[in-house]
Amino acid sequence: MERIKREKLFVLLMKLSLAIFLLLTFSLFTSIFFKGISFLSFEMVFSKPSRGFYMGGGGGIFPSIIGSLVLASSSTAIAFLLSLPLSIFISLYSRSTFSNFVRNFVDLLWGIPSIVYGIFGFFIMIYLGLKASLLAGIITLSFVVFPLILRSLDELFQNVPFSLKEASLSLGLSKFQMAVKVFLKAIAPGMLSAILISFGRAIGDSASILFTAGFSDNFPISLFSPTSSLPLVVFYLYSSPDEEVSGRAYAASLILIAIAVFISIISRRIGKRIYGK
Amino acid sequence: MVNEHIEIRNFSVCYGKECALKNVSLKIPNNAITVILGPSGCGKSTLLKSLNRLIDEVEDVRVEGEIIVDGKNIYDKDVKLPELRKKMGLLLQKPQVLPFSIYKNVIFGPKLNGIKDKKKLREMAQKYLTMAHLWEEVKDRIYEPAHKLSIGQQQRLCLARGLAVEPEILLCDEPTSALDPLSSKKVEETLLELKKDYTIILVTHILRQAKRLGDFIAFFYLGELVEFAPAKEFFENPKDERTRAYIKGEIS
Repeated sequence: MERIKREKLFVLLMKLSLAIFLLLTFSLFTSIFFKGISFLSFEMVFSKPSRGFYMGGGGGIFPSIIGSLVLASSSTAIAFLLSLPLSIFISLYSRSTFSNFVRNFVDLLWGIPSIVYGIFGFFIMIYLGLKASLLAGIITLSFVVFPLILRSLDELFQNVPFSLKEASLSLGLSKFQMAVKVFLKAIAPGMLSAILISFGRAIGDSASILFTAGFSDNFPISLFSPTSSLPLVVFYLYSSPDEEVSGRAYAASLILIAIAVFISIISRRIGKRIYGK
Repeated sequence: MVNEHIEIRNFSVCYGKECALKNVSLKIPNNAITVILGPSGCGKSTLLKSLNRLIDEVEDVRVEGEIIVDGKNIYDKDVKLPELRKKMGLLLQKPQVLPFSIYKNVIFGPKLNGIKDKKKLREMAQKYLTMAHLWEEVKDRIYEPAHKLSIGQQQRLCLARGLAVEPEILLCDEPTSALDPLSSKKVEETLLELKKDYTIILVTHILRQAKRLGDFIAFFYLGELVEFAPAKEFFENPKDERTRAYIKGEIS
């Protein structure tokens, strides 16, 4: 009797947390949706901002959408290319004491707020003689997502069943061939979601690019000039006292969310397709 | 017992202070099934994994003694592991297919060995799937993913994949323990057919399986080789007290 009562209580608690979660998500989406939808227009999405855009003038935020896509995809690509060999090394080659040291260290990096990366990026930028630019933003953002993508890849490699290792090696594969020919295929779906999660993290991060990527109204045409980006557009728009302008911040957020949702749907689709094959 | 291309000499494997194998010496006859028999934790699997040096993948393992394969100690420094492992097919307890199609699983080894001709690869796939008694069941769907097969079929696929590397020795680590009776029977039949061409080492803890398949039995207990004899002699006239107890089912 006592046990049944307790179980009911716990189930109730679970349902309560579900309710809170649903309420939060629902109110987040609806408030942004309803506040932003009236400002969303073709012009808003697909045109360049006019000179007075941040004071209520016409135009849109197309360059920042492109800027954000370029920033997020390039930084994810760099972080991925950097973490793939390292994750193979720590999960298949090095001694576990060393691997665990690297893992702890990377977890530490992951805990550092992105504004600190921003400052560090700024420091490197000055050291290299760069101005605030697309390149500096990409480099800094890749620092931000590197721990995330490295640890996901590492987890994926570690979760490959030991028997797959035995089976591969017993066929006469070298360790490297095993990693490249068998393991990469085995972890492909997970790898894809790791890439997309990191892309999602990168596209939403504002603090790291605040000093480094700079701000501009133009499309990202050069690696060495500042670029526009969605999170900073949201920031600048929302800072405006003019309601007409701060409303646009919701529309920009809506676009940001739409990109994130789109990415997550695509990643699941592709993941399923690869897995089903 | 004329030819032995595997000879184990004073071989020990220790993890820290614990030794899984203690000073084992054993000659494994060619073209026969040698059963490594014993209760779990007696070092059977360790021995099997020492033969193709998968034991190297375990951290902090200490190996002493020699294993001579084709006249060479496989623990010598200049031994190339991929070459060594190609000599030995491995069948695991739970079948582990590669994350590819059935066809690609079988031709994985041959392709690795540089065979590129599509027609030849096709022929090889059919040959080895037939040898493993799987061809008839999968011939219409060899391009489907291997993980869609039943566990029993997967194990036979693993056997075909191993055979396609053209090894001389087959190492089987309780290969039927995860299978249904029908698949087990097929795997056992295949092993019996294969022994005329291969040296087979089969690890098992099932007495009846050892009786059905074994030509020679090596009985291990707590890391020691207790008794090694031709199967008939082993079961009818066991010499050691512990062997007798195990056969009677008193220790397990």
